[in-house]
Amino acid sequence: METVAEAAARKKKPGTGIRVLRWLIQLTFLLLFVVLFVRTRYGTSPALSDVFFRIDPLVFLVTSIATRAVLAAGLLSLVVVSATFLFGRFFCGFVCPLGTTIDLTGAVLKRKSPPADACRRGKFFTLIFLVVAAAVGASFIGFFDPLAILSRSLTLVFYPGASRFLGLLSALRPTVFTETLLALATLVLLLGLGLASPRFWCRNLCPLGGLLGFVSKFSLFKFSFRGKCRACGLCERSCPTGAIDSGHGKVDAAECIGCLACLNACPDRTIRFGFRSAPQPVDVGRREALIALASGLVAAPLAGSIVHRKLQGQLLRPPGSLPEPDFLNACIHCGRCMKACPTNGLQPAVLESGLDGLWTPRLVPRIGACEKNCNLCGQVCPTAAIRNLPLEEKTYARIGTAVIDRSRCLAWEQDRACLVCDEACPYNAIDSRNQTILGTTLGRPFVNEPACVGCGLCESRCPIDGPAAIQVFSMAADRRKTGWYKTPEKARLRSCGDEPQEDVPSGFIQEEQ
Amino acid sequence: MNRRAFLKTGLGIAAAAMLPKTLFGAETAKASGPVVAVARGSKARLVGGALDLLGGMGRFVKPGDKVCIKPNFSFAANSECGATTSADITKQVVQLCLAAGAAHVVVFDHTIQESALCIERSGMNAAVVDKEKVSLLTLGKERQFADTPIPGGKELKSAKVAKVVLESDKFINLPTAKSHSATGVSLGMKGLMGLIWDRGALHQMNLHQAIADLASIVKPDLTVVDATRALTSGGPGGPGKTVALNMVVAGIDPVAVDAYAVGITQWYNKSFAGKSVKHIVAAAEMGLGEIDTAKMDIKQATV
Repeated sequence: METVAEAAARKKKPGTGIRVLRWLIQLTFLLLFVVLFVRTRYGTSPALSDVFFRIDPLVFLVTSIATRAVLAAGLLSLVVVSATFLFGRFFCGFVCPLGTTIDLTGAVLKRKSPPADACRRGKFFTLIFLVVAAAVGASFIGFFDPLAILSRSLTLVFYPGASRFLGLLSALRPTVFTETLLALATLVLLLGLGLASPRFWCRNLCPLGGLLGFVSKFSLFKFSFRGKCRACGLCERSCPTGAIDSGHGKVDAAECIGCLACLNACPDRTIRFGFRSAPQPVDVGRREALIALASGLVAAPLAGSIVHRKLQGQLLRPPGSLPEPDFLNACIHCGRCMKACPTNGLQPAVLESGLDGLWTPRLVPRIGACEKNCNLCGQVCPTAAIRNLPLEEKTYARIGTAVIDRSRCLAWEQDRACLVCDEACPYNAIDSRNQTILGTTLGRPFVNEPACVGCGLCESRCPIDGPAAIQVFSMAADRRKTGWYKTPEKARLRSCGDEPQEDVPSGFIQEEQ
Repeated sequence: MNRRAFLKTGLGIAAAAMLPKTLFGAETAKASGPVVAVARGSKARLVGGALDLLGGMGRFVKPGDKVCIKPNFSFAANSECGATTSADITKQVVQLCLAAGAAHVVVFDHTIQESALCIERSGMNAAVVDKEKVSLLTLGKERQFADTPIPGGKELKSAKVAKVVLESDKFINLPTAKSHSATGVSLGMKGLMGLIWDRGALHQMNLHQAIADLASIVKPDLTVVDATRALTSGGPGGPGKTVALNMVVAGIDPVAVDAYAVGITQWYNKSFAGKSVKHIVAAAEMGLGEIDTAKMDIKQATV
């Protein structure tokens, strides 16, 4: 009988061509993901730029449970579920762009796969945790969904750096995010797990992997041992997910991501991919499942317990955002709105709205205001946490109210001819009124509250250093789940026939002065 | 730069003073002051009409010149409301520059709102009539500006001025006629604030004098005020009251053009003259130009 080495040398490696093909497919999907990310900006059609999130069954499952409504955009993910039911967890091995990123960084880290991990049940743990927490009212999917993680990392880590670099060469203005370091740390941690074993995240933690792995147990086609096996163990050592038990001649369908490494490794072509409809037993682990269940039940109320509503006075959500609890349940923290925002005003929140609010979008007008003629954030939101409003309707979706701090205002405090807030306001919500203070008559700004929508252009343009003398607070924000924001009364207030309420500017020398 | 600008302006004023006699004969010259050209009528010919009164664009733009034109498209407001310079008028100015032999024309502004939206709403891409020779630019970075001292400045002692202006052979200021909540009107000289990096700082001083200080170092070779419509209240960003005037006011003397343009319509439902606008008065007091319309040589044409 020939030795293993002889057999390996003799064999035409049947898996090589198809493994190259797999790499090409992986890189293509990663490239597509990045291209769609880059294209998520003002001036390009955002249609279908969220396609990866639409085919993500975890987003569909958890968001539908958390929001108590079927996420229509996510129905496409049933295609992935069906395909997984046929062929197994191929999504992880061929499509998932985070998986590909992990493969690429893993190639640098060069870790050999250890024997099957003890904590591979972790991915079922996170899955159960997410589902239970969603069922009792808090969505943590943004922390665990691989596509949301990658999209957010691209936004908060990659994009600021790239825009700064490109900005050196072009007129592109660098984008800045307040929470880049935290996002960078989590990304480094996630990729660094590759030091422990290849695809550590995918095999031990990813709840999408857990979901697809669960379905794969029942898939009709599987990898399996057929014919004679000399138990050389080469397949087991080649497997990046520890799915193979060569001693017992078994391939765990929940672990296998269809990477085809074993086909390449086996000297005898014993491992094959073929029709094997018999379901494999599912072993989530009762103890782990119970702990996951309990964690989900505890985490949901805990998430909201760290905030007080009255401390959220300057937590401005993008126009058309659902009421806060619904918003938090629908938002998957993918960062697409922040990437799309043309003014850079949408920034990641930290803990202003609880644990489950980390990395959710908030408007920081001092950095950038909400442009009247832009409704891109609603268009790119994959879960309609920000409603996709028509442009005119968006301009009526009030996000807050501007408040003047007279003690810091140049016009009020220093008698300067400054009405930049009034200049900038696109809604005529700031009136210049001539006020005499200590003998000086001068136009000074007043907020006309009914007309203000809280876009923050005043705050972004206020010329003083530091915090603006006019700031937007979330009071009177109009947050709706359904229905329209424009009312006849509001439309009348804004109609073109109305002349703005303003006194003759003090830039004129008038007789009566 | 300063000396060249000074010389150019000086020559221009001298030429303007001499022009009426040589071109149109003594009988049309009512005053010896600066020429202000006013064209009314069909929008498509307004700029050409006004420039004809000044002796044609060839007087200002020489073959091979690099020209920069600053319309006001600072706001992402609907073009009809008058908060921004009409793209059509801008296009006419660009075409005249090219016809006069300009090698390159840069149409630019330092927008207040997001540049992509400002370009979109103003329709300013229409001014790019020749992709080789015309470019549209929005300033947004500090490195696009250069520190420039203002020797005679009373409030503003120095400013970071747009390099595109400093590096061009000719500079044409192309404001829209509009009201302004702080300065009363926003015409040519007020529009020069769009040339500097830290315009917010001007609000921390005497704004009116600071505008005049700025005008003392940045002297357009030509000012063309787009008064096809005027935003007479609610300015500078609008919305407000928009009045159709169907006219263009042009000239070399920036003070004269502004002072004349103050009188072409009511502002805030009241009548004013150039002498009642603080920053125009400040500029006249610095000797930057003529504020008295009686002393101007006003040429009018209907096109």
